[in-house]
Amino acid sequence: MNVAELSQIAVNALLLSGILALVALGFSLVWGIMNIVNLAHGAFIVLGAYLTFYLHEAAGIDPFLSIPICMVVMFALGFAVQRALINQVIRAPILATFLLTFGLEILLVNLVNYFCKGDTRSVTTAYTGAGITLGYVRIPYIRLAALLIALALVAALAWFLRSTRAGRAIRATGMDIDAARLTGVNVPAVYALTYGIGAALAGAAGSLLSVMVPFDPNLGGAYTERSFVISVLGGLGAIGNVVLGALLYAFVDVFVGARLPQLSEAVTFVVLVLALVY
Amino acid sequence: MSIAGTLRLLFGCVLPLLAALAVGVLDGRAAAEERITFGAAISTTGKTAKEGEYTRDGYQFAIDKLNEMGGVRVGGRAYKLALKYYDDESRSERTAQLTEKLINEDKVAFILGPYGSAPTSTAAPICERYRVPMIEANGAAESIFSKGYKFTFAVLTPAKQYLRGIVDFVLAHDRGAKTVAILGENEPFSKEVAAGAAEYAKEKGLSVVYQQLYPSSAQDVSALLTTVKSFRPDVVLGAGHLQDSLLIVKQAKDLGLRPKAMGFSVGPSSPEFRESLKRDADYVLGATQWTPALRYQGDDPWRTPKAFADAFLAKNPSYSSVPYQVAESAAAIVAFQHAIEKAGTLDPVKVRDAIASLDIMTFFGPIKFDGRGVNVTKPMAVEQLQPDGGKYTVFPQAVAERDGIYPMPPAPAP
Amino acid sequence: MLLAVALALPRFQNPYQLLTFTRFLLLAAMAQGWNFIGGYAGFAAFGNVAFFGIGAYATGLAMLSAWHVPFFPALAFGSLVAAVTAALVGALVLRLKGHYFAIATLGVAEALREIADSWDDLTNGSTGLDLPIREPGAFFYYTALALVVAGLVVTRLLAPSKMGLAWMAIREDQDAARTLGIHATPYKVAAFALSAVFAALAGGVTAYQNIHVTPTDFFKLQYTLEMIIACIIGGAGTVLGPVLGAAVYQVLSTYAWSRFIELHPTVLGLVIIFFVIFAPRGLMQAFGATWRMAKGERRFRWTDLVANVRVNRVT
Repeated sequence: MNVAELSQIAVNALLLSGILALVALGFSLVWGIMNIVNLAHGAFIVLGAYLTFYLHEAAGIDPFLSIPICMVVMFALGFAVQRALINQVIRAPILATFLLTFGLEILLVNLVNYFCKGDTRSVTTAYTGAGITLGYVRIPYIRLAALLIALALVAALAWFLRSTRAGRAIRATGMDIDAARLTGVNVPAVYALTYGIGAALAGAAGSLLSVMVPFDPNLGGAYTERSFVISVLGGLGAIGNVVLGALLYAFVDVFVGARLPQLSEAVTFVVLVLALVY
Repeated sequence: MSIAGTLRLLFGCVLPLLAALAVGVLDGRAAAEERITFGAAISTTGKTAKEGEYTRDGYQFAIDKLNEMGGVRVGGRAYKLALKYYDDESRSERTAQLTEKLINEDKVAFILGPYGSAPTSTAAPICERYRVPMIEANGAAESIFSKGYKFTFAVLTPAKQYLRGIVDFVLAHDRGAKTVAILGENEPFSKEVAAGAAEYAKEKGLSVVYQQLYPSSAQDVSALLTTVKSFRPDVVLGAGHLQDSLLIVKQAKDLGLRPKAMGFSVGPSSPEFRESLKRDADYVLGATQWTPALRYQGDDPWRTPKAFADAFLAKNPSYSSVPYQVAESAAAIVAFQHAIEKAGTLDPVKVRDAIASLDIMTFFGPIKFDGRGVNVTKPMAVEQLQPDGGKYTVFPQAVAERDGIYPMPPAPAP
Repeated sequence: MLLAVALALPRFQNPYQLLTFTRFLLLAAMAQGWNFIGGYAGFAAFGNVAFFGIGAYATGLAMLSAWHVPFFPALAFGSLVAAVTAALVGALVLRLKGHYFAIATLGVAEALREIADSWDDLTNGSTGLDLPIREPGAFFYYTALALVVAGLVVTRLLAPSKMGLAWMAIREDQDAARTLGIHATPYKVAAFALSAVFAALAGGVTAYQNIHVTPTDFFKLQYTLEMIIACIIGGAGTVLGPVLGAAVYQVLSTYAWSRFIELHPTVLGLVIIFFVIFAPRGLMQAFGATWRMAKGERRFRWTDLVANVRVNRVT
């Protein structure tokens, strides 16, 4: 591997880590606060991507501008789902929420498939493919923008959790649900809020992905898996951890992807299992 | 056992069995009809949805045309043709299930192939087990035919030859071309295409600087393309399906990878390719089983490629051009027609023997199957998408509509 | 009596319906296997399709090898390979709990799929294997039936035995069990290996039946989910539960597939959601409750339907 290739790969990894961090953040938040492994996370990503696509096709809205719209819509959907469905079984054994979110994922993805058809889509704008070249390395604008937006959202979330009343309520509930209840926190609402935020972040990630890769209704599954691995790698609990986890994962993924693409998932899971066991 | 226990057993086992029986009865059976029904499991959704649509439309178009002309003559009577198909969602185990359903439940007379080599590989053994002939038009992997199955036949040119035309095209324009990079999807057909391309390139004196397979479900090949870029190959070849060629072109542009020529086994000939990529599709080469510009004189309702294309576009105005999948699928029907009429009966084994001994010329090209069931007599052609928005046959030179543009000029400023 | 009905079934069904029944039986067998580790021992394994695939490939490779091993010995070989794999993997992975265990097993299944896809020399990669063709007939049905009956017998014998009780103790509270002197590890590994054997046997039969074996088809996540759902519907941790659940699931699935073929996963998703929220202990428990009501021991209250929700929802 020569310098040019190495540096391009490093840059690719850096750019990728931004979006992976965004994807994993929502997932990690829900897991950390509510102890729910949200297998439906991928479905929100897909919904975000399709929403952006249709907004672009039908109304000409630039995909980056549609991110706030996606976030609001996904938040509402996530909030409703949590309130109506998931809250009902939160205290049941873990398998229950696991299966429930899984059932939800199958349902949502299939509905998308049914209404939007399984064709591969992609959001192509005037600036798709453009980028700047610095020495050996080429940086596509879109990926750079995705990285910056992802970081901005991460920072926004961190601020929210630390400085607002709602954010503190979320953290308190995550630490000790009974104590939180005693101090007057409305736990079901907090849970719904948390899940909604997770969904909103997933939706934003979906919007960004829609311009970066060709996608179809099955886009989400791989990202849910990756979110899981990143959450485990980084450790639940702090946003910084998730970002680090994403960075680590992105590097491993890109390096392995350059040399042994066929085994990239196998390697990912070996890393995961090792991380879990030790 | 106590009453409770017995009742529990009753609920546990009898109820589901009865329910299942009920479902079986409710499902009903297909009524026997005075027609020849062809069954097919086609991917109208999923990864190869577009190609599956082309396949279905090709079958339907040919069937409609033959029906218009009176149907197929068997032993003095004319039978109309019908198509019964299900969506296999581009998933090969579905294809197997659906093929079983078509043969056993829907009681179709013959089977038409699905889109793709992987699904065809799952359907072939089923047809073999039930001894129902299948003519397939969209599964080019030779591995399907290495098992000694007697009931499966392919009208299309096999996988190994797919990218040969592009290699020849490049060498015809540039004797000095030296290096080739090959990317392939990790599934039966593309693996063979990639391997065949590598072998042929080496034979012709090119050096294969990079050859790598990527997973079928890959949504990001930028890591691979980064490595490819570092080798600065003259030619980049992709062996995959439509979705993959879209991905590679997009991400290559992202990374600034612009070789002298870029060619794909599947993708550029589909109208979807140009629609999705718009200007980014310019100069890309595509291997194709057939184009309307070729000159064949066939023993079928349309006779020439051009006539076929015109007729198809007239009946299917939503298409801006005719993808080769449509033509090869229609050719499968033509092959069946000839075989059935030759056999003079609808008996599956006799029809199978008739198919095996076919030797005809059609608008699609020559159709003659070797001992394995592969149509080795038909050559591949090459198309190129050019900046005026059109797609032209550029190889073989004898039938080329226009000269191909080589090398690819530098990327236009954004 | 029931067995007689089951044995006579093939005579009344056309081959396609027989296929559906066979599929139900194989699902029931796999569900019974999962029941050991997920139902009795309480460890939700999400990767049992790995053993299904191992069974399929091992059986296939044995039959295609130079020795041309006949079907049943090949099947036995397949289950052996799966059991050994389960023991090795289990030793490593059973240390984890809850979500972590679930995802680790999922990871194993995915990794195996990729390995099977890439290891061309052994498995012929994505091109797949083709087993010898067997004439259509009731062979597969009877084999699957035998499998399910064996499963019932094994479950019935093990549930009240020392092993079964140990499993239940581990499920309720692993640490408490340990203080009572029950070494969790051998029991957990045994449950895991047993589940692997059933999955592998089902895999081998399916391989022979489908003839063509590929990594994508035989290491599908969907099969694991179907096993688990069948258990949940019927009642995990009971003897008849998996079989009952498999039957219900198969009926729903077949019906959904023939009527709403495009929306069939949506139906599945709704079923899962319904059962998880309202009847997580499965139908066996529901029947038990119904029976008690019929005997007059309890009165029916509408609130019974939402009893599960009451207990488990957050307030």
